[in-house]
Amino acid sequence: MLVEEFRMHTSLFGVRRFLLFPVFVAVVVTASAWLLGLTGTAMETVVAGVHLLVFFFGLQVGTAGLVGRDAMRNVLGEMTLLVFSGRTLPVSRRRLLSVFLLKDLAYYFLFFLTPITAGFLPLVAVGELSAANLVVLWLSVTGTFGLGAATSLTLVGVLSRSQVAVLGIVAAVAAGIVAEGITLVSYTPYGAYLDQTVVGAVGGFLPFAVLLVVGPLAFEPTASRRVRRFESGRFDRLRSLGDGLTARPLLEITRSSGSVWKVVFSLGVLFGVAALLLDRVAVATRIEPSAGIAFGTLLALGTFTTYNWVTQFDEPREYLRYPVGMDAVFRGKRRAFLALSLPTGVAYLTLAAVWYPVVDLLVGLVVFPLVSVYVFGVTAYLTGLSANELLFDTALFALYGAALAVVATPLLVAALAHGSAPVPSLAVAVALSVVAAAVGAVLSRRVGVRWHSRLRTE
Amino acid sequence: MPAVETQQLTKEYGAVHALDGLDLTIERGELYGLLGPNGSGKTTTIEILTGQRVPTSGEVSVLDIDPVENPLDVRRAVGILPEREDPPSFLTPREYLQFVGDVRDIADVDARIEEWSTKLEFRGILDTLSTDLSEGERQRVMLAQVFIHEPELVFIDEPLVNLDPLMQAEVRDILTAYCEAGNTLFLSTHFMEVAEDLCSRVGIIADGKLVTERDPQSLDEDGLLETFATELGGESAVEAGRP
Repeated sequence: MLVEEFRMHTSLFGVRRFLLFPVFVAVVVTASAWLLGLTGTAMETVVAGVHLLVFFFGLQVGTAGLVGRDAMRNVLGEMTLLVFSGRTLPVSRRRLLSVFLLKDLAYYFLFFLTPITAGFLPLVAVGELSAANLVVLWLSVTGTFGLGAATSLTLVGVLSRSQVAVLGIVAAVAAGIVAEGITLVSYTPYGAYLDQTVVGAVGGFLPFAVLLVVGPLAFEPTASRRVRRFESGRFDRLRSLGDGLTARPLLEITRSSGSVWKVVFSLGVLFGVAALLLDRVAVATRIEPSAGIAFGTLLALGTFTTYNWVTQFDEPREYLRYPVGMDAVFRGKRRAFLALSLPTGVAYLTLAAVWYPVVDLLVGLVVFPLVSVYVFGVTAYLTGLSANELLFDTALFALYGAALAVVATPLLVAALAHGSAPVPSLAVAVALSVVAAAVGAVLSRRVGVRWHSRLRTE
Repeated sequence: MPAVETQQLTKEYGAVHALDGLDLTIERGELYGLLGPNGSGKTTTIEILTGQRVPTSGEVSVLDIDPVENPLDVRRAVGILPEREDPPSFLTPREYLQFVGDVRDIADVDARIEEWSTKLEFRGILDTLSTDLSEGERQRVMLAQVFIHEPELVFIDEPLVNLDPLMQAEVRDILTAYCEAGNTLFLSTHFMEVAEDLCSRVGIIADGKLVTERDPQSLDEDGLLETFATELGGESAVEAGRP
């Protein structure tokens, strides 16, 4: 499976570009840590932030189990990866899945988590971080990512058996935190980083180890295998949102594992990141950022995951068989993208009203949809219908990151400036969002011609 | 004017010459079969003829339309079934055919779904999710999407793959009747019997070149296989041609 993974990436992007990816990650981490240092952010805050981001990334990666489950369930499908060879090889599906997960962990360890840690090497050189702490950081970052992935995979596995059980687990954890005052951090690898003792290490890594075993055991690819029938008429109803090219991705998302909840979960991860970052910024800098601009921006960046879901089931060349241009295909994708992401984002902005003033959040209702239009335009233009694969191409990843940062950075600065200059910051945020949406709309209009031509000449 | 005409068609993928000066003429109403070993250029030929791929050089005309310049016009006029493609996993056959009707602007698509699901015997699974269908059932749905807009020219890569013997016979009848109505069928296949039974003319392609063309009805038993072996050279070619 490791060979398979390596060949898949190198055949797509070439060995050199693929191997540059970890170097790029390390450089980004070093630059970010240095920039945060310039703003007076403490090293321990940066380390905490890295763990937080890696945990949420792990959660996101773990939802890949949803896709895997569909593929595993589709026992009559083509076998293109070893993980789907359970029908022909004397290996159980559960074992194949376990090996697949370990392979994924090894892959992210080599190409993502180790480079993140390596990004801190310059800080060791200047004495900001000890060499011993760097080694512990390496382990805790890896464990934190694994914890995130194992958590979402376990929840997906339990979900495949009982939705009530998932609600029960979530409620039990919440009750433990609220009623018993359990400090969850102590039971994460980050807790082991903070408490570098044997007890700290055991407490910090035990839940990860348990979930690593429980996840694959909970996962039952054939649990809900049955012939599924749907009443006719759904396609026509969804078609009323635009056309058949809009209705199709909406049906595919709602019927695949996780249904629309995977969109809600993916944006929820970004909502969690945004909420924690806002909280940390307020504590570390005593600045009161604009929650509306910050949530609007970060949730809009998170709609990249929605784009991924609406294109998840596509084989781009299929559309070359139909008498519609790729512009019509992307128009349908955009409608489906907006139909899913806008209500979800607005729901999270509404949820934020529990903690933040409603007036402060109102600007988020302007920023979020406009920046989402930009995210769609950029993602579609640069990655076509294969966002997931192409973003592992270092050059494209860097270009994509830069394109998002061009809009997100000034918006987040505007959010931070809100306390000292509320009216100008709001004006800048709205104006930037409008310009971004216009750019996104232009890119969306050009994307069809670009990808139609590319697919035909490749 | 012929239904399909190519002159000195070439297609290069980097250093690989998938098509190397292909000259092909298919008259209207013909049931033409393109035979060849793996990698000989069959799929690339279909992809260029249907506007899915741009050739490196050469002239091509399909129903008097240039698929390089007007790919959507060609796709509107023809039906296409690639060898390895299933209906979308999370749509039912009815929804997939409604989707095809939508992108092809078919006004009475529901009536045609009834017609083709009856002909190809999959009415009973019209509302079953495609991911839960067998390979043969999926192939029948894919065949329906080829004909549902009543095209005058159809390209099919391996038409009988995954079908049981009874359904194979049904599909052979449908294809024959389709051509008898004056339409044109372009088949790409590895199977000699399919080509011999169905086709009015067979072309053998190797290394991107049309090696020979024959009328299979005028050949003796095993004639097509022998021709295939002779043109491609050696026993390995004979083996390649056996179903």
